[in-house]
Amino acid sequence: MNQPERRETSPEEHQKGGVPFFPDHFVKEMSVMALVAAILWFLATLMPMPMGEPADPLRTPPGIKPEWYFLAVFQILKYVPKDAGIIFSFLIFPPLLMLFPLTYNWYSKYTYGRLVVHTIGALGVLTAVFLSLLAYLGFE
Amino acid sequence: MRPFKAIGDFFDERFEMRRVLREFADHNVPDHVNWLYCFGGITFLCFLIQAFTGILLAFYYQPTMDDAYSSVLFIMEEVPYGAIVRSLHAWTANIMIIMVIIHMLRVFFHGAYRPPREMNWLTGVLLFFMTITFGFSGYLLPMNQLAYWATKVGTEIAGAMPFVGSYVQVFLMGGERISDATLTRFYTIHVIILPVVLSLFLVLHFVMIRKQGISEPL
Ligand code: HEM
Repeated sequence: MNQPERRETSPEEHQKGGVPFFPDHFVKEMSVMALVAAILWFLATLMPMPMGEPADPLRTPPGIKPEWYFLAVFQILKYVPKDAGIIFSFLIFPPLLMLFPLTYNWYSKYTYGRLVVHTIGALGVLTAVFLSLLAYLGFE
Repeated sequence: MRPFKAIGDFFDERFEMRRVLREFADHNVPDHVNWLYCFGGITFLCFLIQAFTGILLAFYYQPTMDDAYSSVLFIMEEVPYGAIVRSLHAWTANIMIIMVIIHMLRVFFHGAYRPPREMNWLTGVLLFFMTITFGFSGYLLPMNQLAYWATKVGTEIAGAMPFVGSYVQVFLMGGERISDATLTRFYTIHVIILPVVLSLFLVLHFVMIRKQGISEPL
């Protein structure tokens, strides 16, 4: 692999500039955590998770849906050939996502490289949200 | 404050606690670090809440077709604070996934994955998929209609994978239908395999962050 064009500042250099992790950033982190903990506590006490009906293998309920974070994949599988969709979602997409940082040295050479990559990313996120909504509303 | 100092001295003399703490706390983060940089930490908080509430639930939960639903019902209706503990676990499961997605988007749009942090992105992606699998394996455990049928559909999709599908399905479910074997396997994955493996990758993730510092803005 090529040497990265722009070296990052090393931890030693970090020590010179910036703000102290403790207490400056630590306090911010703890405040946000307290806020999230409070929200979770309100949800758990005011909106207990429903139990639902006991599982009945003989009675298929109408409109089965996976959990919300699988809805996008679930919806894609309605549109593309099943094999292709499954190969892409389970076997091709995950390794591509893992290796994605390797594209940096290449795309950063171009003036608009980052803009293009970020736009593709944003469109990907919007598509996933849109597909999830379709699945949630039960569109075929 | 004297007793605190005495206790502090006791441990410091034996284990150099002050040096260890300073090692942890004494570094700078870049000026631009703002609240967007808190989502990794919030994901970690969610994981800690899940570990704590999950262990409490395991005191009562029974992973068999006959008893799973009723044991969860017992937690909800009879066990003191059981409803809060289970609801906290179920809500936090969803919030954790939202938080890990926001954290990932933060890293993506800040370009924080760029060299030299590629390995941190890689461990992150693995953490992301483990978090999702946590959700998938946990969803079945209460054995209600929604859980049962969603899992049936999910495992059928996994089973339709070319070449390996049928093996994956049998490996996950211990057979072709959702049965006691399936519950035992999902439970093992949910309370033993994933917690251990995810914790190991968290250590890697955190050690790399500490070593490399937080990235500069693009
Ligand atoms: C269980 C899940 C995860 C936990 C608990 C976690 C935790 C953290 C924490 C506490 C930080 C410090 C900075 C911050 O919070 O933004 C961080 C940084 C980082 N995380 Fe994660 N993370 C998780 C998943 C992920 C995922 C899914 C990715 C990406 C695919 C990722 C990639 C990174 C990278 C590249 C950094 C360095 C950021 C920088 O230097 O600016 N992590 N993580």
